[in-house]
Amino acid sequence: MKATVAEAVEIGTQLPSLTVRFTRQRLVRYAGAANDFNPIHYSEHFAKQAGLPGVIAHGMLTMGTALRVVTNWVGDPSRVTSYSARFPRPVVVPDDADGVEVEFTASVSGIEGSLVTVSIEALCDGQKVLGAARAEVDLGVRVPHRDHES
Amino acid sequence: MAITEAHAGRRYPPNDPYQVSAAKIAEFATALGDDNPRYRGDSPIAPPTFAVVIAAQAWNQLFNDPELELSLDRIVHGDQRFSFSRPFRAGDVVVATVTIDKVRVRAGSELVSATVDMSAREGDQICATQATFYHAREALA
Repeated sequence: MKATVAEAVEIGTQLPSLTVRFTRQRLVRYAGAANDFNPIHYSEHFAKQAGLPGVIAHGMLTMGTALRVVTNWVGDPSRVTSYSARFPRPVVVPDDADGVEVEFTASVSGIEGSLVTVSIEALCDGQKVLGAARAEVDLGVRVPHRDHES
Repeated sequence: MAITEAHAGRRYPPNDPYQVSAAKIAEFATALGDDNPRYRGDSPIAPPTFAVVIAAQAWNQLFNDPELELSLDRIVHGDQRFSFSRPFRAGDVVVATVTIDKVRVRAGSELVSATVDMSAREGDQICATQATFYHAREALA
């Protein structure tokens, strides 16, 4: 892990953000990598039949990409002990070269000993596409208490 | 008959063991656009959400259970929760077991919650993941 993380962490600490573009090509690549071939992720026909406005990204593509904000920050992905999120609305991915932009931001929302909780937001077209996304990471060393400082 | 609240607690037999390979880890990391060096090289660990690659095989038992009458193209993912005892590593042979936790039947749809437990064949727990799926009983369009 990055030695400086535990030293610098406190409630409200912002993690470096991440902006990615989801294209149809990305969805196909993820479908193959994840063995998730639900046709709503590549076929307009099946997406519409499922009541969706169009082809949508895999919820787990959004959730997996969001966790990069945390693993980039902590360096060692094996420090992630739990991760949860809801999928309140789909990320609709148009059939063009540009796809759609998703912006991920995160901040520290809890500290208990060496365990740090990070809350993540994912925005697409100004709308939240992950709900209550939280990852818990074990920094391996107790985070210094700062309640009485400042 | 279709899925009902009474199916809560149904536990399926373990899936065929899944062997985690360095190539599949690299493929998955690339699909996430993630260049973390821990996911590459001779003895990589997997991105945490790689768990779904293995969990999906267990979910398929449930989606393909003729008694439940679920249809994959009418299933939308509602939420997902993971807890990790350790990361997946290349070389792990993983056994996954799926259990239906809860079923809520609404007018024309069902909410199904299920847990997949994943352990190394040697017995040590790696990850448990809970998911909720929304299933529309009839095609909407």
